[in-house]
Amino acid sequence: MPMVLLECDKDIPERERHIYLKVEGEDTREFLPISNAATIPGTLSERGCSFCGAKLVIGGVLKDTIQMIHGPIGCAYDTWHTKRYPTDNGHFNMKYVWSTDMKESHIVFGGEKRLEKSCHEAFDEMPDIKRMIIYTTCPTALIGDDIKAVAKKVMADRPDVDIFTVECPGFAGVSQSKGHHVLNIGWINEKVGQLDAEITSPYTMNFIGDFNIGGDTQLLQKYWDKLGIQVIAHFTGNGTYDDLRRMHKAQLNVVNCARSSGYIANELRKQYGIPRLDIDSWGFSYMAEGIRKICAFFGIEEKGEALIAEEEAKWKPQLDWYKERLTGTKMAIWTGGPRLWHWTKSVEDDLGVQVVAMSSKFGHQEDFEKVIARGQAGTYYIDDGNELEFFEIIDLVKPDVIFTGPRVGELVKKLHIPYVNGHGYHNGPYMGFEGFVNLARDMYNAVHNPLLKLAATDIRGPVATPVKEAAE
Amino acid sequence: MTSQDKIDALYDYVQERCLWQFFSRSWDRQENIDGILKTATDMLTGAPPAKESPMDRLFYADAKIMVADFKQRFPWLGDAGAAQVRELMAGLKERLVDITITNSKNGELHHTLY
Repeated sequence: MPMVLLECDKDIPERERHIYLKVEGEDTREFLPISNAATIPGTLSERGCSFCGAKLVIGGVLKDTIQMIHGPIGCAYDTWHTKRYPTDNGHFNMKYVWSTDMKESHIVFGGEKRLEKSCHEAFDEMPDIKRMIIYTTCPTALIGDDIKAVAKKVMADRPDVDIFTVECPGFAGVSQSKGHHVLNIGWINEKVGQLDAEITSPYTMNFIGDFNIGGDTQLLQKYWDKLGIQVIAHFTGNGTYDDLRRMHKAQLNVVNCARSSGYIANELRKQYGIPRLDIDSWGFSYMAEGIRKICAFFGIEEKGEALIAEEEAKWKPQLDWYKERLTGTKMAIWTGGPRLWHWTKSVEDDLGVQVVAMSSKFGHQEDFEKVIARGQAGTYYIDDGNELEFFEIIDLVKPDVIFTGPRVGELVKKLHIPYVNGHGYHNGPYMGFEGFVNLARDMYNAVHNPLLKLAATDIRGPVATPVKEAAE
Repeated sequence: MTSQDKIDALYDYVQERCLWQFFSRSWDRQENIDGILKTATDMLTGAPPAKESPMDRLFYADAKIMVADFKQRFPWLGDAGAAQVRELMAGLKERLVDITITNSKNGELHHTLY
């Protein structure tokens, strides 16, 4: 019974292995959804591609690096308006797009010369920038362009530049997750250990798996500054290419997003003996716990307690105002993977919100072990959910608000259910104490937004002929 | 309250709060469970926790928060003698190894590479 075959999936019964309804008393020894598996033919997946996981999630966040996308111009589409990882140098990473703009003739005759020319052109146009990541895409991988050879040639011609290559075309894996993996392992093997670091504090760490969404990194940096902890590298929020080459110099790796970045933390532990400490950065209780753990590692517990007291005094009354008004709200979380387990208990404990359904695009079984351990009975846990499943789940659990991305967000808006951007946020940051008040505010404003009711009103009455959806 | 009930309570807390039990591979999970529960047992029985190596300090950081929560949530732990604490923590360890390693359905636990 607990693995669920939805009505809409009756023609693709394999989907039953991906959807779990938790029942009181069960645990993950009995039921664990299949995940990180190929999307089943017949389902309309919300997943992105493997290139996306490398470039749009991790590499493209860096604030001082040209992101050369070796492929057709369409692969370079996501920029300012869809990605929200600002930087403290004027958002260089979101203002510009670099592409080799491959056309048919380059596909036929090969694109390496065009890539080499594009690299030089980009460095010439931006003389202050000396770092670059080159990405293959589906067509340039298929024709076998050797981007590593081109990178070597460009670096030989320009001794002051450094280039990293990511060979992870969109088809390389089943989802974005493959791109995370390829970039993590490539970086640790090719770039970490190349540069020394200037150590300015007795306490040093890398902060891994935080991409400065809506300013998360910059908010948390205030905490580390107050605690006197030097962050050697941010992987990769508001980060720099060269700082990431110094990751081996830190004493501790603090991991937020274990899915996108756990690989490099594991390798830093294996290759350099640097311990990995996983924390949750969303929610009051979790953030306080994370700060306490980091401070315990360094033996600076008193500083940590002072910081927590200061932050809670400032933000707890505001959180409580929202909690009073959000208690009992039913929430669905349909995001990438880790935010399911980061958020389900934090919104429950800090805001009195009940999470009734969660869907992951690219989570692995490790993520489902975490979220099922933390989540409630009576909640649906879905891997790689499709549109029809979302409709059916909405009917079953009737959420008051859905945290998801713009694609699914547009879908649920048609049903006049409020959605909050669970990837890029509506008005972030959402991490830390202040950030969680921001999340509560956006949830409250979404749930109580009067426009949703107005959007369902037609002054002409029932004259308009409803358009039947294809699924009906 | 039986010993089994007490182990259940400790186990429910760890399942809900602790990310270290869910690291990527079986050997990482085993190392964390061994290290953190040993440090926590030392702290609960009045022995000084090891803090010499970076891994000692990592285990201490995780154990310290868990022990503080245990004491706050489960007052009966304060009345338990050293022998009973060791027995409860051994029971907790057995349960955690069973769910996160031995009987885990996670197909990636035993990959040789990360």
